[in-house]
Amino acid sequence: MAAPVPWACCAVLAAAAAVVYTQRHSPQEAPHVQYERLGSDVTLPCGTANWDAAVTWRVNGTDLAPDLLNGSQLVLRGLELGHSGLYACFHRDSWHLRHQVLLHVGLPPREPVLSCRSNTYPKGFYCSWHLPTPTYIPNTFNVTVLHGSKIMVCEKDPALKNRCHIRYMHLFSTIKYKVSISVSNALGHNATAITFDEFTIVKPDPPENVVARPVPSNPRRLEVTWQIPSTWPDPESFPLKFFLRYRPLILDQWQHVELSDGTAHTITDAYAGKEYIIQVAAKDNEIGTWSDWSVAAHATPWTEEPRHLTTEAQAAETTTSTTSSLAPPPTTKICDPGELGSGGGPSAPFLVSVPVTLALAAAATTASSLMI
Amino acid sequence: MVPTAGEPAAGDSWGMLACLCTVLWHLPAVPALNRTGDPGPGPSIQKTYDLTRYLEHQLRSLAGTYLNYLGPPFNEPDFNPPRLGAETLPRATVNLEVWQSLNDKLRLTQNYEAYSHLLCYLRGLNRQAATAELRRSLAHFCTSLQGLLGSIAGVMAALGYPLPQPLPGTEPTWTPGPAHSDFLQKMDDFWLLKELQTWLWRSAKDFNRLKKKMQPPAAAITLHLGAHGF
Repeated sequence: MAAPVPWACCAVLAAAAAVVYTQRHSPQEAPHVQYERLGSDVTLPCGTANWDAAVTWRVNGTDLAPDLLNGSQLVLRGLELGHSGLYACFHRDSWHLRHQVLLHVGLPPREPVLSCRSNTYPKGFYCSWHLPTPTYIPNTFNVTVLHGSKIMVCEKDPALKNRCHIRYMHLFSTIKYKVSISVSNALGHNATAITFDEFTIVKPDPPENVVARPVPSNPRRLEVTWQIPSTWPDPESFPLKFFLRYRPLILDQWQHVELSDGTAHTITDAYAGKEYIIQVAAKDNEIGTWSDWSVAAHATPWTEEPRHLTTEAQAAETTTSTTSSLAPPPTTKICDPGELGSGGGPSAPFLVSVPVTLALAAAATTASSLMI
Repeated sequence: MVPTAGEPAAGDSWGMLACLCTVLWHLPAVPALNRTGDPGPGPSIQKTYDLTRYLEHQLRSLAGTYLNYLGPPFNEPDFNPPRLGAETLPRATVNLEVWQSLNDKLRLTQNYEAYSHLLCYLRGLNRQAATAELRRSLAHFCTSLQGLLGSIAGVMAALGYPLPQPLPGTEPTWTPGPAHSDFLQKMDDFWLLKELQTWLWRSAKDFNRLKKKMQPPAAAITLHLGAHGF
């Protein structure tokens, strides 16, 4: 009959409208945030839905296969980092959003690594820390500094997240400092502490502006100058001593000089014509440890401009006599004449020294001509 | 504390210590520098600085030996006891700004007074040390420390500062209070060595400061070998 059909039609339309209305206008709950451990298994229930409710799960907008479901619950096994994302379950027929979970896969923190150093003695010191392995989820750090029983403030570094600064109130203290750090995230917690005397953590920054220059008319000299690190606040009362090391680029062995004063030094035993690499380190005269090596300076000692090119014969003549003084002592290598084809001595060291000896020969002849 | 045969009771030894210390204080000061040619206080400040470095080095081996003699936990590197302050040792620790603004006279006086006290206590330590070797090392150190004291006195004299005379009541006496337990005695020894070490570090810095203030800006000494060969 015609009358009931429009009625049923209206009812269905009304119901559909109601569903659409609730779907559109019901306040969407913020996704539930959940942290789970890497490698573990997790079961995500679809909010308050019954176990046997018909639902579909999606992750970041992509449908998930039904074989992951246990009833209306999503089961994820052996969580990997890629499992992190926004999971949503929908009522299968109406596509009504039932529940959302923002899943983060990570790890609890391992014991943090903490170290403290004073590069601004006697002003203060700083401590910095890091985790040996990443957790992949946000961590919060809490640092406490104790001097005996007194709590000291550690001011956060304006630029670096994992560093804070402490100001010395008293100098020459017999009481040790204890710095503790605790780290925690949603999956766990860890902590460590270090104890030290005021004097043991003093380590200046490396010297700055290390410059090496050749000395005119001196083929075996190099003049090195540097500056006290700008972070060292009081070089008058807390003088620094320095350690200089230098070597020609072609050799591995460093020469060392320790200097108790001044910010300049002249190297007097440089090999003529060789490019040198020079570095300087600093240390408080009495306490603490050496700084890291400075940025390297390069320089080649002065050589006179050749007035004329040395002849091939002259260069070859002096080659064999001067090679041995520069090249590293040859290893006692058993040389198979068959290998080389034409036989003869160790080939590698000889090849290395050939381009170098020509310059040395030139310097030698120059030196003798200048009667130095 | 029951006195063992041949050993004085704790109270008696502190009384002796008090007597000894008052005697030391009233000894005439070490005569001032021989002022022929008078190069100024510079060289004697340098000498005093060098002495602090030498003493600090000597103390390192002495302290190691003595702490081993005291036994654990005193000889453990992590040993970090709270400072109860029961001992009346002169403390090296000072507020940063106060230290920086000390005038020369005060700086020298504090050093002199500190080492006078410390020497006194060290001599007391020597008295009680068990092994002959320890007593020998301690005696040697005491002699060196006496030398440092003389050197500081020399600097003060050269600068025209009077040597500090102890005010009545501030002498390093030790009132024989309740019997000092063995452990507490060892704690006192520990703090004495620690304070001595810290004072030597501090003195090096004190004398650095004095050095820079006394010396005229020295011309840079550079060796110019010139063109006379390598």
